[in-house]
Amino acid sequence: METEETTSDQLGRSTALRLQQLKGQLFEVALVAATLVGILAVLALFVQISSDAFQPETASPAWFLVYLGTLVGPTAAFTLYARRRPAVRETNAKAFAAVFGGLLLALVTYAVVDSLSPYDVFTYAFFASLPPALVLAYDRTTEDRTYTGPAIPASIIVGVAVAALLYDFVRGPIGVAAEWILYFGLVTVPAALLVWTLTASRRGRRSGALAGGIVAAGGLAVAVASIVTGANASLLVVLYSAFIVPTGYVLWRSVRTDPEGRVGVAGPFVLLGGTLLGAAVVDQFGIRSPDSFLTPNLLLQSWDGLTASNAGVYPQIVGSIIIVGFMAVLAFPVGIGAAIYLEEYAPDTGLRGRLATILEVNISNLAGVPSVVYGLLGLALFRRTLGFGTGIVVTASGTLGLLILPIVIVSTQEALRSVPDDLRQGSYGMGASRWQTLREVVLPEAIPGTLTGTILALARAIGETAPLVIIAIATTTYSPPSGLFSSGTALPLQIFAASANAKPEFRHGVVPAAAVVLLILMLLMNATAIVIRNKYGREN
Amino acid sequence: MSESDTSPKIQTTIETGDEGRGEAPLNARDTVIEARNLDVYYGEEQAINDVSMEINEHDVTALIGPSGCGKSTFLRCINRMNDMIDVCRVEGDIEFDGKNVYDDDVDPVALRRKIGIVFQKPNPFPKSIRENVAYGLKIQGFDGDIDARVEESLKRAALWDEVKDQLGSSGLDLSGGQQQRLCIARAIAPDPEVILMDEPTSALDPVAASKIEDLIDDLAEEYTVIIVTHNMQQAARISDRTAVFLTGGELVEYDNTAKIFEDPEEQRVEDYITGKFG
Amino acid sequence: MSNEPESGVGSLQRSGFVVRKERLYGRLIAACAVLTIVVTVGIILALSGRALSFWSEISPIMYFTGTSWSPVIAQDYGVLPLISGTLIVTVFSAVIALPIGLAAAIYLSEYASDKARSILKPSLEILAGVPTVIYGYMALVYVTPMIDRFLPFSAQIIPPGVPVLPEFTFVMPSLGTFNALSASVVVGIMIIPMVSSISEDALSAVPDSLRQGGYGLGSTKFDVSTRIVVPSATSGIVASYVLAISRAIGETMAVTMAMGMSPQMPYFPNVLRNLAESSQTITAAMVQIAGADSLGTGPTYEAMFALGMTLFAITLTMNVLAELVRRRFREEY
Repeated sequence: METEETTSDQLGRSTALRLQQLKGQLFEVALVAATLVGILAVLALFVQISSDAFQPETASPAWFLVYLGTLVGPTAAFTLYARRRPAVRETNAKAFAAVFGGLLLALVTYAVVDSLSPYDVFTYAFFASLPPALVLAYDRTTEDRTYTGPAIPASIIVGVAVAALLYDFVRGPIGVAAEWILYFGLVTVPAALLVWTLTASRRGRRSGALAGGIVAAGGLAVAVASIVTGANASLLVVLYSAFIVPTGYVLWRSVRTDPEGRVGVAGPFVLLGGTLLGAAVVDQFGIRSPDSFLTPNLLLQSWDGLTASNAGVYPQIVGSIIIVGFMAVLAFPVGIGAAIYLEEYAPDTGLRGRLATILEVNISNLAGVPSVVYGLLGLALFRRTLGFGTGIVVTASGTLGLLILPIVIVSTQEALRSVPDDLRQGSYGMGASRWQTLREVVLPEAIPGTLTGTILALARAIGETAPLVIIAIATTTYSPPSGLFSSGTALPLQIFAASANAKPEFRHGVVPAAAVVLLILMLLMNATAIVIRNKYGREN
Repeated sequence: MSESDTSPKIQTTIETGDEGRGEAPLNARDTVIEARNLDVYYGEEQAINDVSMEINEHDVTALIGPSGCGKSTFLRCINRMNDMIDVCRVEGDIEFDGKNVYDDDVDPVALRRKIGIVFQKPNPFPKSIRENVAYGLKIQGFDGDIDARVEESLKRAALWDEVKDQLGSSGLDLSGGQQQRLCIARAIAPDPEVILMDEPTSALDPVAASKIEDLIDDLAEEYTVIIVTHNMQQAARISDRTAVFLTGGELVEYDNTAKIFEDPEEQRVEDYITGKFG
Repeated sequence: MSNEPESGVGSLQRSGFVVRKERLYGRLIAACAVLTIVVTVGIILALSGRALSFWSEISPIMYFTGTSWSPVIAQDYGVLPLISGTLIVTVFSAVIALPIGLAAAIYLSEYASDKARSILKPSLEILAGVPTVIYGYMALVYVTPMIDRFLPFSAQIIPPGVPVLPEFTFVMPSLGTFNALSASVVVGIMIIPMVSSISEDALSAVPDSLRQGGYGLGSTKFDVSTRIVVPSATSGIVASYVLAISRAIGETMAVTMAMGMSPQMPYFPNVLRNLAESSQTITAAMVQIAGADSLGTGPTYEAMFALGMTLFAITLTMNVLAELVRRRFREEY
């Protein structure tokens, strides 16, 4: 101490300086702690809520050991193996996305179409897709493309209008068909067409037609087999066309074209196999599983406020998906259009330049309006002005659509701004018009960024509660919405309503389980957005 | 440096050119582009000051001058790329085949299909090589054999041999020099009449640059080429005629390249060329 | 060269149909942008129409000065208890979020490695992404009992023996089922990312030359961060604070679920009692009316719009304020 004191002046290591250093270190520690405190608090609450939902303490230790051996161990080992090999890692990620994304897609498609009635969906889908198909056929045969662009959206609108007009006439004949035939038309036919075009672009027309034909024939075979065995033909046809076919196509292509990374395809199957094996072992030896509240019952039943084991949120989940899905249809085109105007069309100067500035300021203010106020707007607009009924899907979708509009606009603007100006100049210099530049060069480049922003907007919308309460969406319904103008409910509303239920098996069981479902939906969307952002960021 | 002093001198220069003091008579070829009393302003700032000049068909015309002298602005006026800049205001005429391109009934999009442009920094689209070259054909609704056109354009841009086996791979995977030749192929694919080049070699290494220079020489057989460059050796090597812009956006001298570099009329041009300023 | 029908002089024109088509597209896109103005106007019209008809029945003076809010039972429409409830949550969530958010912003901008930032930033964003109904549930079911374990808590500020008034003893009573404290905690957590991300933008925008200058004078990183970077970014930080507070004012589900529905005037002088007991915010009162009265008529129903108007006016003012402050900071460099 003393020696240091004496040399302090020469070496500049005085106690004061050391104190200063200490102060700096403490400051940094405090900063780290502050950054982490919110994250850790929420993490702790997530753990609490999932532990209430899963009740892990009710399982015997053997249960954990079994799944450690069959599921966690092999999956972790495989992930570690894949991590060190970039090709395998990439294929592994792709396989996970294909398998679980495909499964989710198939189940959501089935649930949504089932609740909206396959007959109605088929009628509208048929009439909406026939006219643009004719337009495209005209385009192909005459090579006259001048009118194709505007004709496609116009013909879709005409088709939908015709469907609405002819609904009563058409519904009868279509109603004769077995349900699975409608699902075949809705899902298998598009899947077959997709495989056809994809294969045709790679390996020529003949193999394309062949591949498409095989897919369609497979769909028929699945339907016949399930009718013979008495299974749910509709569900199986959807699972086959929206899960097995696209996932199989992606995985098959990975295996064929990527010899280095093809091992990665096994990833999701290690996970699935481990789960099944674990379940089999647990069943075989009668090992005590946790009394989890996150059961198939919860996902497939409707609500029951008295008996926890009967309570389910199927109508709420499907309602949320339909509300948010239709919201996307309403809000995304408008939001993206507004962003395109502000970034690509609006001038900087003059009267219209000033208008653009006003629009920008207005949008940032709209983003700051509390969501509950949008509920009042929805109430006034849809119920008072348009005279829609109380608590119907369209009102909910429209209200949420207005709410997320600023988010979509701002994120799309950012995506458009990140497209280098060089490319626009290049395109204009080639004699492309503004619209052609936008369609051919700018939009394709901005898609990943736009997608990220819109998925985040969806994640925000699926958790919104306050505006739905204000527009008087029912908290509990016992079946999912049967149409866009019928009443429906959403998952967060059920959580809100059930939070008043003081029964312990609800308070520390069913409601946390429903909250976990909502959280998983939201985190899945966030993760998808982050994955797209990172992938896109890497490429640039 | 008042305007009234300089502009008559330009006129004089061009007029005296008729007497054939350069290698070739100035009006030996048809005029394809003619600027008359062109003024360009960015907001309050004047970028081009009363420029008048005629550009001949199938010539390589070089625009040289120090940075900020307005040569790029002039180039971008020819196919109205400056329309993109809100504050840019153009007065005077630029005639292309006898038609003022700033007339109300001229569509800048249609104009740019006749007057292509290659930029300083290679800017291939993030698409395949084939799609890059076919881009102009596609947006113009070309209904002939696109693949043949792509091949022909790539051959003319001296890039075919290097990329013929990877037409499907991204244009961004090419080297800088290859990218610039891809941009040239892209510009000539729709068969424009004039090709504008805005310092096309300044972002390239010398080897790649010399390839582009050779290419420009060949292109002049079929197209009118107007090239902006700050590299005087380059202008001397490749151009038939040279226009010297100096600060303030004035065209100081415009004549046969040999004449400009060997015996310029203006002292300022001589100073600039010999490196005394600029 | 082109199969578009060429027309007009010297073919320096495009076909009229193509030009008209693209002009139509441009107009459609502009219409999308103008729709955002329509939304704003719609909000103002929707709110003001019914709010004005409410204020024509209930005098604005009574609304803004009344100390009792009981629209359903007693037809009392005094907004002060609701404003008090909103203020309590806003102040205490700000006490939590503003310092933590700023510290996180300083860490992310000045100290964190790229890798740490790439993990921490999305994690912080998640805090704002969790549905507020889940925050409300967590506050009600988990946070309240967790905090209540340490309560009631009392500490004498002045040592015993000195004759003092009871008010000088620090007392935090135990929490009710519904209470402002747990609501403030979760609201505080959910607005952290708002403070941290906007402040971080402001801090990162401070030019490096200022930092270099500080280091050149022999300052430590601590000094540079706190004495140079943070003061230079003050306006951005202030803007982030204003926006975060505005968000806390408009927050609905978490406060409705965790803080309950009993409007209260603030307790004095024991301020902490306000935290321990239930009260009601403006937003929660709106939810209560929407849930109780869906008939669509009557002053109670219209009161919801008056509350919405009040809320909209407050948050809009704050957002405009933040924008003005932010604009000043953009001009600084």
